[in-house]
Amino acid sequence: MSFPGVLDIDWNVMAPAVSLLITAIVALVFGLSARDSRGPAAVALIGVLTAGIFAVAHLFSGNESAASFGLRYLGDVPATALTLVILLGTAMAILVSWDQLERGGMGQPEYYPLMLLSALGAVVMASAGDLITLILGLEIMSLPAYALSAWRTRDRQSEEAGMKYFLLGAFGSAMLIYGTALLYGASGSFVYGAVAAALQGGNLTLLATAGGALVLAGLGFKAALAPFHQWAPDVYTGAPTVVVTFMSVVIKVGAFAALLRIAATVFPALQPWLLTALAVIVALTLVVGNFTALMQRGLKRMLAYSSVAHAGYLGLALLAANHGGVAAAAFYLSVYALMNAGAFAVLTLVTDASDHGDDLERFAGLGRTRPGLAAAMAVFMLSLGGIPLLGGFTGKVLVFQATIDAGHVWLAVLGIATSVVALFYYFRVIAYMYFRESSHAPHTFRSTPARVAIAVALVGTVLLGILPGWWHTLLSVGPRFLAGY
Amino acid sequence: MVGTEYYVALSAILFAVGGVGVLTRRSAIMLFLSVELMLNAANLAMVAFARSWSASGTLTALNGQTAVFIVLAVAAAEVSVGLGILVAIFRNRVSTDVDELSEVRA
Repeated sequence: MSFPGVLDIDWNVMAPAVSLLITAIVALVFGLSARDSRGPAAVALIGVLTAGIFAVAHLFSGNESAASFGLRYLGDVPATALTLVILLGTAMAILVSWDQLERGGMGQPEYYPLMLLSALGAVVMASAGDLITLILGLEIMSLPAYALSAWRTRDRQSEEAGMKYFLLGAFGSAMLIYGTALLYGASGSFVYGAVAAALQGGNLTLLATAGGALVLAGLGFKAALAPFHQWAPDVYTGAPTVVVTFMSVVIKVGAFAALLRIAATVFPALQPWLLTALAVIVALTLVVGNFTALMQRGLKRMLAYSSVAHAGYLGLALLAANHGGVAAAAFYLSVYALMNAGAFAVLTLVTDASDHGDDLERFAGLGRTRPGLAAAMAVFMLSLGGIPLLGGFTGKVLVFQATIDAGHVWLAVLGIATSVVALFYYFRVIAYMYFRESSHAPHTFRSTPARVAIAVALVGTVLLGILPGWWHTLLSVGPRFLAGY
Repeated sequence: MVGTEYYVALSAILFAVGGVGVLTRRSAIMLFLSVELMLNAANLAMVAFARSWSASGTLTALNGQTAVFIVLAVAAAEVSVGLGILVAIFRNRVSTDVDELSEVRA
């Protein structure tokens, strides 16, 4: 009996994930004897940078068809590029947490190891070439995230966030696992390409469609697509802001990386009504996310609904996965990681040590008291709203173009219409910062690492807006994504 | 030999029972058990499918059977994290009723 391909390991493909794993263990052991949480933070940052160097080296080696374990762990361009985005988001979350953990009394040594493990799970999801690898990646990503949401011990809101996230996350992953079992029953394989090839014949379509629908629902929970988004506002509000900085970026990238690959391979082989269901879900997500965000007073909750809305725009790219949607979504995720982590980084500097005071009123007069911080926040808000010359605009244009190319014109129109709605709640933050008088004590908390994170986000957001070509060209090596699986 | 469809039907019923449990029960412990039921329904389905696929090669069948072990490990890890969070909550509130988790508001 032979096991073709299962045991071939390409260490160039595995290197980013392995670096994260080793660093997590080192940071955990080192954390036992460290004086405060800044030592482990430095270790974690070095690990993320090392993983990033390996990923960049692999990305430019031109070895796009590299894979490990017989197409179960892929090293193609989308996988490696999204790995880089995940590492970028993780690095920014580490920088934002650097001083904030000590300030909020949350400096337990397990924080950074858990964050690295969660990032490792997201990397595995982005690289997964079969459903079992996907399940493992999803769990490695989610389990530390549940613990991190409840990180503020003795804080009832943080505990509540952790429990809600855990219960809905476990429910979602049960759906994904059952859907995987059904797809295996219908096709006899877990590898995406083999599943798609076996389903082309049209056998056992009820089993396959039910399996596909459950996989979509399970991943929909992680990606916060409506109607599976209900956990997001409460978890984002209750969890520590530094953790939300991490979650809102890394978990979203991991979930969408997996969804993109499945949408490009498995979904087209299933019955067309599944794609119609996805279209309805995306439309619902766009409307619910944007209109509910409009009604929020707390900035954390507003950004939570805004992240649901952005899941909707990314969902548009899912529907167009085979019409340039993959590159568009990867570009959108890159910008989203920068601008969203940037906005949350500013939020951590404005709110108080226990994360309270994220009300819009707290931003009043920020333009005068902290001009640099306010200017950065204004850029992030404009980019999230999709104003030209910033990365968010380019991402939206690419996504809408792909949607129209795929023939979903009405969805593109809905996307553009809801973007206009979104401008209201993003502009409101800017209006508060510059045109309202401050009625409370000025914000005094400063943190150099957090400032570095904001600067990186700022440069990246602007750079992807004025020079989007090089990154999009790099991401557009699409066909590899589909071939041979 | 019992047909695969009977096993799959049983697993679908178990999955539905678990799903309804998650949506209706109020005690966090019962919610955990319901999720376990859903995961084990998936295990049952995978073993049944593995048997039905064994005609098309040992490897195809082994795939499904190995997946069951992975899902078992996932379920155990999930419950340990969930119970950890539950213990933290119980210390503060002396209750496992999830309906009382409603403090986070706008």
